[in-house]
Amino acid sequence: MGWVLDFLKGKWLKHPLHPALVHIPIAAWIGAAFCDFLNRKNIGGNVLVQLSYFAILVGVLVAVPTLITGIADFLEIKREKPAWKIGLAHGILNLIATGIFAYNLPLRWHTFRTAPMTLDLEWKLSLAGAILILVSSYLGGYIVYQHGIGVARFSKKEWKELARQGHANLPPEKKKK
Amino acid sequence: MKELFQGKPFRHPVHTWLVHFPIGLFMLSFALDLYTWFRDFSSTVVEAAYYSMAVGVVMALVAAVFGLVDYLDIRRDHPGKATATWHMLINIVVILLYLVNTYARAEHVDEMKTPLPLFLMSLAGVSLISLSGYLGGRMVYDEGISVGRHRRTIATPSRTIHVNTTEKSNARGKEGKIAYYFVAPAERLEKKQILRVAIGGYVAMIAKLGEEIYAVQDFCTHRSGPLSEGQVCEGQVQCPWHNSRFDLKTGKVTQGPAKVELKTFPVRVKENEIQLGIEADESQE
Repeated sequence: MGWVLDFLKGKWLKHPLHPALVHIPIAAWIGAAFCDFLNRKNIGGNVLVQLSYFAILVGVLVAVPTLITGIADFLEIKREKPAWKIGLAHGILNLIATGIFAYNLPLRWHTFRTAPMTLDLEWKLSLAGAILILVSSYLGGYIVYQHGIGVARFSKKEWKELARQGHANLPPEKKKK
Repeated sequence: MKELFQGKPFRHPVHTWLVHFPIGLFMLSFALDLYTWFRDFSSTVVEAAYYSMAVGVVMALVAAVFGLVDYLDIRRDHPGKATATWHMLINIVVILLYLVNTYARAEHVDEMKTPLPLFLMSLAGVSLISLSGYLGGRMVYDEGISVGRHRRTIATPSRTIHVNTTEKSNARGKEGKIAYYFVAPAERLEKKQILRVAIGGYVAMIAKLGEEIYAVQDFCTHRSGPLSEGQVCEGQVQCPWHNSRFDLKTGKVTQGPAKVELKTFPVRVKENEIQLGIEADESQE
């Protein structure tokens, strides 16, 4: 089980997977909402309807590994840390947003190839989803830049070596489990 | 003004938020290009790929400005500086590539497939941006660059001061077992508040709070983060990475996750100079 989690956390890449994958749903879904916004104002027409559809689709497809890697990262956070609650909220918001966008796809399936404009319900859904994503992605960034989750996770050895060369007091040796 | 660029009010660097858009939109555009080669859809998808790319370019240019401000803030000898330089250079190539790609595409949006040269350019583009994005991630997660930066009210040290203890002109006398050395003129600390100093094999940070001056080891005892890039207040220093706090006078941990106390160094301001002391017989050089 351990090696599965290690894989999902990006140990093999020396780079956490989840923060890399999130770029696609974030840009795609916010982009889709923006396309919907424009075409509702009669700008762009069917091109933007199709772009919006494909953007949502690509976002939903990538959201699946994003979610799985996110859970793997979340399991690393200790319960008592403030980042745990933030991570939980972040995950729940993302699940809801993913659900909204996934639901949006079959709604649009029959019409997106020719429709000149996104329908009212579809637009409201993508707007709601995009707002959720904006909030949840901010929380995601907060977890990293405010609480340092994932920072120096794979580079502990290198930094410890620098500290050792600087004759500093070192972190205690961790006993191998 | 610089603080706004660095995202200080938002508690999040702006560059690292903006980059989601060029990365995601360029990837989306490539996916659409790919789609036009495998399915006979309509020229609409070719046009959609064009728009996705065009917006990506605009966002990339904006992100680049913020990225440059961030880049200039990295300490000259930070272990992550080389990665940052490569990241920047590759991204410049990416932006140029996409500018050409977008411009060239504008005339072909009526076609059923994205023309092959442009498709290959997209392939090159997403490959390069995956590489530069990877480096960007290494900068944050491996090197801790910009992590916790928004909490700091003082400038990042732009370089490390190297004090040569074998150079006689740097010696400033002994007090018992402690040998003092000249670090910098006193006014350096007035402006900067934190100095990073390499001396006798040690790396220390010197901080001034009000009238008091302190020196402790630069490396946090949790994961060795740079305390000289942390926040100082109320006689404590806080690591920018995971928020461990230490008393500046004693080096003791006042808040975890760190568990080991910091090494402290005697430091004084004498005759308008900042002088740092290391144990005379323990100089590691």
